[in-house]
Amino acid sequence: MILCRQMPRLALFGLIGLWVLSCAGDAAAAPVKKTGHQQVPELNCRECHDCAQPTAANPCLNACPRLFSAQSTGAHTVAEAPEKMMLDRIADQYQGVNFDHRLHASMSEMSQGCSTCHHFCPPGQIPPCQTCHGGEANPQNLRQPSLKGAYHRQCLNCHREWSHETDCNVCHLPQAKYAKSEDKTDATDIMGQSHPSIRPPDKRVYHTPYQKGEMVTFYHQEHIDLFGLRCVDCHQKENCSYCHDVQKTPATRKSMEEVHGICSGCHESAACSKCHDRVERPAFSHASTGWSVGRFHAKLECRACHPTGKRISKVNRDCSSCHGGWNQENFRHAVTGLQLDETHAAADCADCHIERRFHEKPTCSPCHEDQRDFKKVPPGKYVRVSS
Amino acid sequence: MTLDRRGFLKLAATGTAVAAGSLAAAEAGASTGASAHDAANAFGVLVDTTLCIGCRKCEWGCNQANDLPKRERADFDDKTVLETHRRPDVTAFTVVNRVAAPPEVRQAAFAKIQCMHCVHPACASACIVGALRKQPEGPVTYDAWKCIGCRYCMVACPFQIPAYEYSRALEPRVMKCSFCFDRIVKEGRQPSCIENCPEEALTFGRRDDLRALAHAKIAANPDRYLDHIYGESEVGGTSWMYLAGVDFARADLPPLDNQAPPVLTETIQHGVFKNFVPPVALYGLLGLVMLSHRRRDGETGEEE
Repeated sequence: MILCRQMPRLALFGLIGLWVLSCAGDAAAAPVKKTGHQQVPELNCRECHDCAQPTAANPCLNACPRLFSAQSTGAHTVAEAPEKMMLDRIADQYQGVNFDHRLHASMSEMSQGCSTCHHFCPPGQIPPCQTCHGGEANPQNLRQPSLKGAYHRQCLNCHREWSHETDCNVCHLPQAKYAKSEDKTDATDIMGQSHPSIRPPDKRVYHTPYQKGEMVTFYHQEHIDLFGLRCVDCHQKENCSYCHDVQKTPATRKSMEEVHGICSGCHESAACSKCHDRVERPAFSHASTGWSVGRFHAKLECRACHPTGKRISKVNRDCSSCHGGWNQENFRHAVTGLQLDETHAAADCADCHIERRFHEKPTCSPCHEDQRDFKKVPPGKYVRVSS
Repeated sequence: MTLDRRGFLKLAATGTAVAAGSLAAAEAGASTGASAHDAANAFGVLVDTTLCIGCRKCEWGCNQANDLPKRERADFDDKTVLETHRRPDVTAFTVVNRVAAPPEVRQAAFAKIQCMHCVHPACASACIVGALRKQPEGPVTYDAWKCIGCRYCMVACPFQIPAYEYSRALEPRVMKCSFCFDRIVKEGRQPSCIENCPEEALTFGRRDDLRALAHAKIAANPDRYLDHIYGESEVGGTSWMYLAGVDFARADLPPLDNQAPPVLTETIQHGVFKNFVPPVALYGLLGLVMLSHRRRDGETGEEE
């Protein structure tokens, strides 16, 4: 009787013992050194690989790994995407749905790219919906809707948000009017077109509830030009309805963190007055710091000079105060717009730029006694300054 | 045998103990009653109200698959009915309602309501002729031939689902969703409403698989769903379970106790009559009292 009661416990110990032994055996037999993504502890091999021992030659990749999104599919462009798709699997019940893939792909670039719809893909691939979503619902995998569910969820997830149209005939043409959409010659038809490019505003003035400084002036274009930001760098998680919602309701109140998060990602400042003011602020001008960026530095991103975002103190107009490393060998004079001829290229910098004071007007007098002006008789030829 | 005060108390205590014992046995039976069939393995449905678009295709599918006044598919394209709150009735086993969402929720939500097919149904417990039965596969079925029209089921149902054909003079029936019993058990298909849902907002499967699915969905999208599966434990669990992004009460799913109503009622009622022990004990006790009194009367008489 006692033995009977102990049986499950004994069996459990036995199993654990066997497992420990088998693990030890594996380790002894195959001391494989884990490399790359194998080292990530939370990764389960079977999540992506269908076979027990994937190799480089046969990675046996699972077609639908839930772990990865198409974010990892790299450089797929709208141009590569199929232009149109005719979804006509149930042509016996409904007319085919002419889906403008190109248009949707270009729109997705404004949010999460291909992965907006192609959510779980093997790295580097973007398989079509049918690869994972078969024709019928699979009772073995309730998480994976069938093709019908997948299509409807993908389409309506956005469309119900912005157009609020959920009628079947928005996509499925009624039987009576049967005519292939491809045959349409309607000029307003948007088939195969891309989303019209969006013209970003120069600036926006936000009115905030902060009493000590209710206005925040944001120079939108400057952020694109100066910082080289892409739309999605700031406009994350924004969807069609952000612009297209036909029944806009007061949006949910955003938290302090959400509102400030977009700016504070780059601007590390705890002082409210950094952005908030009682009046509309002028755009930032570098001249206000006492040092005009001038034509040579205008096109540079801020980070090129301010890698840590800090002010540079003690800047003077002498180029060598920053560009100390420039000398006759490594300085391309053509960047100034003047390409020196062979004679002058051999001359020392200080021959024309007296005492290497480069911000002052150069002189020709040390060699030429005719009081010539370097602009009229250039020591080389003028070239276009490439930016 | 004479029954003095001490003897009577002993006897009474024995009787009470027997009755209490049988009650306890009955309670054990009632609590296991829910798992008499394998609730976890029975069929169920998970309704994801955040996916529902209110297209009413489930209503149409239900109308076609059941013995209901037949209507055209175009009838169900009418979305104006969503403006008013509707309940299932004798002409429709299921209806979709727009969920009255709070103003901060921008997305309109919809919820389909029908019989929840409780794991331990109060209607079947209340039915005195056994016309309503919980099937091992999950559905709560109705047998019109057995029904005597007492409508206790309508009072008992915590979701107020059963409807009654008052307008039918002869053989009126109780009308409620059958979970397409014949269709899922005999034909191996899915219920008609589920087959017709374009969004697959309704997922048909084993109840335990659905619970796992629901928990996975909540874990993956904590912003989208409330951290609660309605029907997982309400009234002892229901075969149809719901996920929602807004308060369930708005979707006609009232806050209910986790204990199945029949657990209490059946414990008392079945306990009283379990194996006829309490009646036999009671009558035995009364008989003994009577007997002892008769003897005492006899003894007194002899003395006189």
